Amino acid sequence: MSKKGSVLLGAALIFGLLAGCAGGNDNEGGASPSADTGGSASAPAGASAGSAAPSSPDKPAEITVMLPLNTAETPPDTIKSEVEKLTNTKLTYQFFPADTYEEKLNASLATGSLADATYLKNQATFIQMKSAIRDGQFWEIGPYMDQFPNLSKLKKQVLDNTKVDGKLYSLYVGRPLARQGLVYRKDWADKLGLKAPETVDDVVAMAKAFTEQDPDGDGKPNTIGLTDRNDLIYGAFKTLASWMGTPNGWGEKDGQLQPDFAFPQYIASMDVLKQLRDAKEMNQDFAATSKTDQIKLFTGGQAGLYIGSMADVDSLNKDLIKNVPTAVLDTQALIKGPDGIQATWAIPGYNNVVLFPKSAVKDEAELKQVLAFFDKMMTPEVANMMYWGVEGTHYTVEDGKAKASDNQELTEREVKGFRDSVIGEPETNGMYEGYFTLPARIHGEELTAENEKIAVNDPTAALDSATYTEQGEELQKLITDASYQYMYGKIDKAGFDKAVEQWKSRGGDKIIEEFNAAYKK
Amino acid sequence: MQEAVVRAQAAPRAGSERSKRIRRNKWLYAMVLPGFLYFLVFKYIPMYGLIISFQDYKPFQGISGSKWVGFAHFERLFAEPDFLRILLNTLTLFGMNLLFYFPVPILLALMLNEVRIGFFKRFFQTLIYLPHFMSWVIIVSIGYVMLTMDGGIVNELLESMGFEKINFLLSPEWFRPMYIIQVIWREAGWGTIIYLAAIASVDTQLYEAARMDGAGRLRQIWHITLPAIRSVIIVLLVLKIGDVLELGFEHVYLLLNSMNRHVAEIIDTYVYTAGLQQGKFSYSTAVGFFKSLIGLVLVMTANRLAKKMGEEGVY
Repeated sequence: MSKKGSVLLGAALIFGLLAGCAGGNDNEGGASPSADTGGSASAPAGASAGSAAPSSPDKPAEITVMLPLNTAETPPDTIKSEVEKLTNTKLTYQFFPADTYEEKLNASLATGSLADATYLKNQATFIQMKSAIRDGQFWEIGPYMDQFPNLSKLKKQVLDNTKVDGKLYSLYVGRPLARQGLVYRKDWADKLGLKAPETVDDVVAMAKAFTEQDPDGDGKPNTIGLTDRNDLIYGAFKTLASWMGTPNGWGEKDGQLQPDFAFPQYIASMDVLKQLRDAKEMNQDFAATSKTDQIKLFTGGQAGLYIGSMADVDSLNKDLIKNVPTAVLDTQALIKGPDGIQATWAIPGYNNVVLFPKSAVKDEAELKQVLAFFDKMMTPEVANMMYWGVEGTHYTVEDGKAKASDNQELTEREVKGFRDSVIGEPETNGMYEGYFTLPARIHGEELTAENEKIAVNDPTAALDSATYTEQGEELQKLITDASYQYMYGKIDKAGFDKAVEQWKSRGGDKIIEEFNAAYKK
Repeated sequence: MQEAVVRAQAAPRAGSERSKRIRRNKWLYAMVLPGFLYFLVFKYIPMYGLIISFQDYKPFQGISGSKWVGFAHFERLFAEPDFLRILLNTLTLFGMNLLFYFPVPILLALMLNEVRIGFFKRFFQTLIYLPHFMSWVIIVSIGYVMLTMDGGIVNELLESMGFEKINFLLSPEWFRPMYIIQVIWREAGWGTIIYLAAIASVDTQLYEAARMDGAGRLRQIWHITLPAIRSVIIVLLVLKIGDVLELGFEHVYLLLNSMNRHVAEIIDTYVYTAGLQQGKFSYSTAVGFFKSLIGLVLVMTANRLAKKMGEEGVY
């Protein structure tokens, strides 16, 4: 070995090893718990800053807020400083990307660095948080509610849905009960002489026609009916299943609560999607398709049906007409199942909740200060500011409704981050309803109101099951996997039943028992 | 008595000798210090956290306040119906890594070494190690766009040639090939760097002598290049085995879906979905701890084997 060579070799080895170590850490970022908690512990370090003494009433209260961010960038302070002025507070917002928010939440919980007001991400995170709530890590706010006139306007039914063991710990971010429906290519339907679908069979027939009858008229078989994604709940499946008469999460059968997948309608709904997929009338890879790719199929002009939130029609339309200028969309809901009954599933009226950790909010006086901020948030001025932005810049008022400005990017950047944290809904916090121009969206809003009349609630929304909190999500994975395998023809009814049996024996039986015990009370 | 006296005399001498040695090499010690601190702070001190795998850890109560539960979390892991499958999946992917990925950089390095035109050699070397700098999200997305049945280029090509479309993304049979091909595509070029450096250090006189004796290119590779880099290969092999269970959490997690879960779920993804996402810190730690133990056993075995084969090993 020449001397020069060995030096080179040594250097390369060291370099390689260092690179190897760096690579190793890279992987650990997601995998090892210790690295993760260590990394994030420093991020929300300034969390417990809300300890300003509430001595003089004029001094702005210092409040920290932690919440998930659904946009790419952290919003600038435009809205924040306006809200601070309106509410006489000094706010510190800690935004974290929604994709990894659960991890951040758990890590912050573990290190005691949550903010004064800690938003969760959705109902599923709320269920996971319940054990921490039961451990007494968060303030119970029920007894304070009647001291705050605006907070006490919040809907009682929704508040009940967010209670843990009958006690209230959180304020909720309101959402319309049932926005789920169908968005379809009206121009294609008109061309092929199809009416707006009224039954599930009509929807299936439309998917077939969109696939086979060349609705885009280019002479090539390059269109499909439905576009779906790897999400049984917010994708097409749950909405379709509820049209078919499947209960929402849980339903009553022989006087007992049973999970939705124990009902024959659940199987029938899987059969509908299986039939669509086998006939190549929907995207073949839906079990591996992300929302972005699902939407791309629609806005690219390949697919003609989208089942999901009807509020998505605005963005679908915006991107679709870039590619197909002649495209026209419409929304549809109130679809009848095989037995002719209209039904649709409803969320429990909230999208997210905010909790008040005892590790950040030290005493009652501080808690009242934080609640006072949320009480002020529920006035029209503050709610409008946070939801719609600055009047004249981000929106204008038309017919007593808020019309979003055409500069969607600006609103997205400056307002969207705060929008998802507004407590209550227009009926309770007095903010403007939206003013829409797209006919399909206006139709969608009407349908949302109609949906409420036929909405099916989840009877377990306000019930508790210790086993469900502990294992529910892990067990649900068995059912989710089996459902996809059934729809892809990998397993038959017997195979699906076997998965249900597994679910039961691994803890499902206990969940059924516990929910029923709570239900009877 | 006498012995004690001897030792007492010897001790100060040895001590002063050592301090003298340290003083003489103080700059070398100073250079070692950052690395030492790195391992202490980021690798050894965090091991303290392993305690929580024997506790019912409640973040609010901290390590000192949480209840001790002994081996309960490990018992739960071993009793888990999916445990054996997940372990097998992990070991299978690891085996495939060793079998299919590990030799590729060696072959690539040998091939690059035979390229005589300097420009081409540098050009290809750069080209093949570029993917290393892409994140798995990008690589998996590229894979999705190419392999999807809804207009993916590979399936369109298959169809135009008269074959059936293949469901790469969702079939359990294709998960492992897809995984290993993506690993090779991303890492193989990067892996050649060390081998190329090792090859560069081979004395050129050996090649000249071999040529004089009439050895062709392949003979030269077989009798000179490979034996010369043998020790490097073995050290890297042992290190690789030490990483046994670092299969790339991100990569597998992104490829995982409901249809291929029974072959694609590995320990890392299991820790994430069953533990971290649901805030079960103790259980996650217990599973991670178990994984490290497997890694330790494997690396010790590999090192012993390396020594048996007359190589130095890594320690």
